[in-house]
Amino acid sequence: MQVWTKLFAKSPFKPLIKHAEVVVQAVETLEKALESWSKGDYEAMRRYAVEVDRLEDIADTIKKELRDSITSKLLMPVQRSDILEYLHMQDKIADAAEDTAKWLLVKTNPNVPEDIRDLILKMGKESIKAAKLVFEAIRQMDIVVESGFSEREIEREYELIREIEDVENKIDGLDTKLMRLVFENEDRLSWGDGLYILNIARTLSNISDKAKDAAERIRIMMNK
Amino acid sequence: MLWDPWLLITIAIGLFMAWAIGANDAANSMSTAVGAGAITPRQAVIIAGVLEFTGAYFFGKTVTETIRKGIIDPSKINDPNVLIYGSVAALLGATLWLLIATHYGLPVSTTHSIIGGIVGYGIVYAGLSVVNWSKMVQVILSWILSPIAGAIMAFIVFKAVTKTVLQSKDPIKSAKQWSPFWIGLAFVVIGTMFYIKVLHGKSLPAGILKYGIPAGILAFLVSFALLQIRFPKVNPYLGAEAIFRRVQVITSGYVALAHGANDVANAVGPVAAVYTIATMGLAGAKVPVPKWILALGGLGIALGVLTYGYKVMETVGKKITELTNTRGFSIDFSAATVVLVASWLGMPISTTHTVVGAVIGVGLARGIKAINKDIVRDIIISWFVTVPVAAIISAVIFKALMLVG
Repeated sequence: MQVWTKLFAKSPFKPLIKHAEVVVQAVETLEKALESWSKGDYEAMRRYAVEVDRLEDIADTIKKELRDSITSKLLMPVQRSDILEYLHMQDKIADAAEDTAKWLLVKTNPNVPEDIRDLILKMGKESIKAAKLVFEAIRQMDIVVESGFSEREIEREYELIREIEDVENKIDGLDTKLMRLVFENEDRLSWGDGLYILNIARTLSNISDKAKDAAERIRIMMNK
Repeated sequence: MLWDPWLLITIAIGLFMAWAIGANDAANSMSTAVGAGAITPRQAVIIAGVLEFTGAYFFGKTVTETIRKGIIDPSKINDPNVLIYGSVAALLGATLWLLIATHYGLPVSTTHSIIGGIVGYGIVYAGLSVVNWSKMVQVILSWILSPIAGAIMAFIVFKAVTKTVLQSKDPIKSAKQWSPFWIGLAFVVIGTMFYIKVLHGKSLPAGILKYGIPAGILAFLVSFALLQIRFPKVNPYLGAEAIFRRVQVITSGYVALAHGANDVANAVGPVAAVYTIATMGLAGAKVPVPKWILALGGLGIALGVLTYGYKVMETVGKKITELTNTRGFSIDFSAATVVLVASWLGMPISTTHTVVGAVIGVGLARGIKAINKDIVRDIIISWFVTVPVAAIISAVIFKALMLVG
């Protein structure tokens, strides 16, 4: 009887994982853009930055479809509002990556000292780690549901969340260091260069901020 | 008179009803196994078709009550013609309602449909007093009791299965130890059910002792031995699922067999009644059912499975990805247990309703990832309208037949 196809609605977790996958791609592409940027290959950087923009669009589309399908008519093992809030945060990670890409695109031939450059690259690498951990966390959430909320799987999920928090902490530290560095170098930098660097730093640390927010939501999902 | 035109008409409609039963219920028996990917839709159709026919032909009741479950008073219908028209009207009313429900994909009880059909013509002929209202209250109670009992049982079973198998420190080890226990327990229920539903035995203790316990012990030993030799060494959840996947094929097969043995009466009961009148000229409350009528009923059900069930199960197999084997097992096991206990207590319980309740129960235990609440509402509404709608269609047809005849 067809009722079985209707009674069981599509699980929201698979598209959530798909969305997370696109977000990871966006952040990875951003990292490539940053690498090209630090090497002075602005042509390649531009290509990657545009690609980040495209991936963010895809993430947006998935987000909209998911929002339309997670309606109040579903009975789910986790709160609907938590899923929607989580999705919002996960999407913000891609948004932040796109913001960084935009800042990369606004200025040609910026004057960025070597040490600042290295720090930004390092922040980029950590951001990817954060995005990948979020991807892991939502996949683990699926397993948590699969196992019938087993303590062991919940513990593993908590570990991932703690890791995300660690990464965020680390990026926060890098961010502060970078800001200090910009002002230490204020004589060598134009106000435009300073604004440019600080905004890249801010949007980059935004990536891990949102990753942490997403992780927080997963933590709430598991609480009964 | 075997070639009585009314008998032929009743046989045709009876076949149609059997087809509708097959089409409507076929996927019910196999859906959890197909949905969980244990078998393909094509395999499911063949298994279900064969087992439904086997159940209907070899184990169908050879004596059936014309007035199903004493829902109307047979002493008030003495005219054989009324019984013939009534049987035709009841069958048509039930069949048409089943078709409507199937079209909208709603799982309704075939037994309740035929009850509705009988009540419909009974009221038109002899007024409201012909209906045994206390029996009717039991039917109405079953709409409420079955899903609630199914939901509570499935909630508990699923929690217990996850606690023992999925959530322990060493899932592989505990899956090896606990799965045979759960499988054995399920087979105690299945064995007993086989005695009561398929062989139409009466005594529950006898069923448990003679069929339930031996089946349970055998299943325990076989699954325990098999798991010691080879356990699917993937991740613990997939491993546990793989164990229950195989069990599910057997439980689904049993459901198909029992369904054939029981529900064939809904289609052939009225046919047998008309046959008795046509050949012997009298109407009784209980009529013998010739084997060939059972065969026809079984054929009709198998045809329903093969023609419509295939399409339906194909969609089921492709679309239900969220139903895993342990969940499917919890649903099957709970529904079977509830139906067994209820029939022992003499409570009227519908398998269809219990299964839907069980699905919701597993969902509430945070097991199933998403259930469509709107559909649940539609299904519950359909249960409440089954008897009235089948009754109204049957009443209209009966009235028309009385005017013409």
